[in-house]
Amino acid sequence: MSEQPSTGPVLEIDDLHVYYGAIHALKGVSLKVNQGEIVTLIGANGAGKSTTLRAINGINRTRQGTIRFQGQDITGSPPHSIVKSGIAQSPEGRRLFPLMSVTENLEMGAFQRTDRENFSEDMDRVFELFPRLQERRMQKAGTLSGGEQQMCSIGRALMARPKLLLLDEPSMGLAPIFVERIFETVVEVNKQGTPVLLVEQNALMALEVAKRGYVMETGTIALEGPAGDLKTNEQVRKTYLGEG
Amino acid sequence: MSTIARSGFVSRVRTDRSWWLAGGLIALALIYPIIVETLQALPFIGDFVPRTSSMVVMLVFTMMAIGLNVVVGYAGLLDLGYVAFYAAGAYMAGWLASLQFADVTFHFGSTVSNDKPGIHVSMWLILALAGVFTMIVGILIGLPTLRLRGDYLAIVTLGFGEIVPQFVRNADQEGIGFDLTHGTFGIAPIDSLGVGAFIFREQRNKDDLYYWTAIALLLFTVFCCIRLRDSRLGRAWIAIREDETAAAAMGVPLMRTKTWSYAIGAFFGGVAGAFYSSFKAGAFPADFYFNISIFLLCMVILGGMGSIWGVLAGGMILGYLNIEGLATIGSKVQDAGLHFDPTKYQFGIYGFIIVVMMLFRPTGLIPERRHKIELVEGVHDTPFYDVQTEGTLTDRDMSDD
Repeated sequence: MSEQPSTGPVLEIDDLHVYYGAIHALKGVSLKVNQGEIVTLIGANGAGKSTTLRAINGINRTRQGTIRFQGQDITGSPPHSIVKSGIAQSPEGRRLFPLMSVTENLEMGAFQRTDRENFSEDMDRVFELFPRLQERRMQKAGTLSGGEQQMCSIGRALMARPKLLLLDEPSMGLAPIFVERIFETVVEVNKQGTPVLLVEQNALMALEVAKRGYVMETGTIALEGPAGDLKTNEQVRKTYLGEG
Repeated sequence: MSTIARSGFVSRVRTDRSWWLAGGLIALALIYPIIVETLQALPFIGDFVPRTSSMVVMLVFTMMAIGLNVVVGYAGLLDLGYVAFYAAGAYMAGWLASLQFADVTFHFGSTVSNDKPGIHVSMWLILALAGVFTMIVGILIGLPTLRLRGDYLAIVTLGFGEIVPQFVRNADQEGIGFDLTHGTFGIAPIDSLGVGAFIFREQRNKDDLYYWTAIALLLFTVFCCIRLRDSRLGRAWIAIREDETAAAAMGVPLMRTKTWSYAIGAFFGGVAGAFYSSFKAGAFPADFYFNISIFLLCMVILGGMGSIWGVLAGGMILGYLNIEGLATIGSKVQDAGLHFDPTKYQFGIYGFIIVVMMLFRPTGLIPERRHKIELVEGVHDTPFYDVQTEGTLTDRDMSDD
């Protein structure tokens, strides 16, 4: 794999179409994540945010359009080879393996990696980000609180040493104290050099941490721009920030 | 902490006690043929002690149950057609160690004298070949079916479990124009196990010899399944069982991983089938009915899905009831003057056992470690954080996990 210049786009999606049976869920979505950025994808329920993420990691089949990751076309690749190429995801609803311990869940995140000897280093790094996980490391993931599960889910994705991190609704159903904690960590992870594509319903928080943002509406990108601009955009304020 | 992290995919807590128990059981199993007569002479319980030949059958079925456990217990794929693998192994032995193909005379390491017609390959080699052949059958059945999930998969495997016995019943001169399986008569006699001129079946203690071989095969199966469970592949199976979509998102190749579980589960079914056909000296289509698949599944459920020791216990208990136990109980009941024959109601009785298990012990006799922790230690329902007052902890003790 050729090294990309650090300023070029890590992820480039062009005119993506996804169908669920006869339902046209994504109608030509195009977006870009550059090196070192946090990019957020906001929008109402059912706008197609999660569908976009699942198309990126190959769980949803793409009907039309291309997905390029680090310059390579990964459209239509199976999920395991996409994970191997460096895209890790914390899926919607966290989806931990409930009967596995926290440690085992983290190990699953590194499933596609071959450098087993670096596991403990990465696990230490995850435990540094989320000290609570270290306390709970032998506990079954299904018995964790919602916030702890979200930490575990993000930690699990980080165990893949991703070159791009996809986060699907990390704040969903969490107490405010946890939401803040999670967003702080996202910023921290990004500072350490991992670009992040963040799908959120909590638009205010998401635009706070992101550099750029895309607003989705019924399967298309309705608006895009720097996060600061979107935050002051009247339409966004009305629809997603609960003002006016 | 780093020691835990470093242990990678084989992090596991073991107690010395359980290994002493396992060692003791193995020793007891090995001397069983020697002490069986003494045990049978005991008052009251003596009548309930199974004969060595019954033990062989119990061991064979337990081995198949442990193979099925790889598919059902580890990977969570409900397979209702496991009997197909049993049949494949048995017929492999029939083809390679009998008079079935009398036109060909081919001998390879067999204990049978060289002038006998038919293919006669060393029975030991056949055990391995049957395993590999059945593995291939498993992959062929798996490729089209494993794209299905849950109930759909169960129904398709049910279909294959019916197709295979129907096929062996009809694959003779009349059915397919070539006598492949000898139809409803089955293939017999199938060669005995043996070393050189020492042929097990001709020995006075042939049951004991087959018994020890069965113990060796079962130990091999248990060993492989424990190693597999603790491997990367085993962890991938459990991930698929717990959440298929999440497993895919973590980079587990679904089709490949599921197909491996089928292939490996099938392997043990094939070895057990070949061994059993040598013990019985034949492979008969009447042995491969659908109820065998269900019977094996009952063993897995009774013992505890995913738990090797559980399936071992479940297999031996149901195997015992099936081959000897119910009949013994029946004769005791009739001696007492009651007109009740439990063997007539055997599947009703197994069904009743399963219903009772589901009500009172749904994770089985010896639950898998993961389930056990969940049930014994309980799921915490007190949160660590007080959700009413931001930033404060509850009084839940953090050290109690």
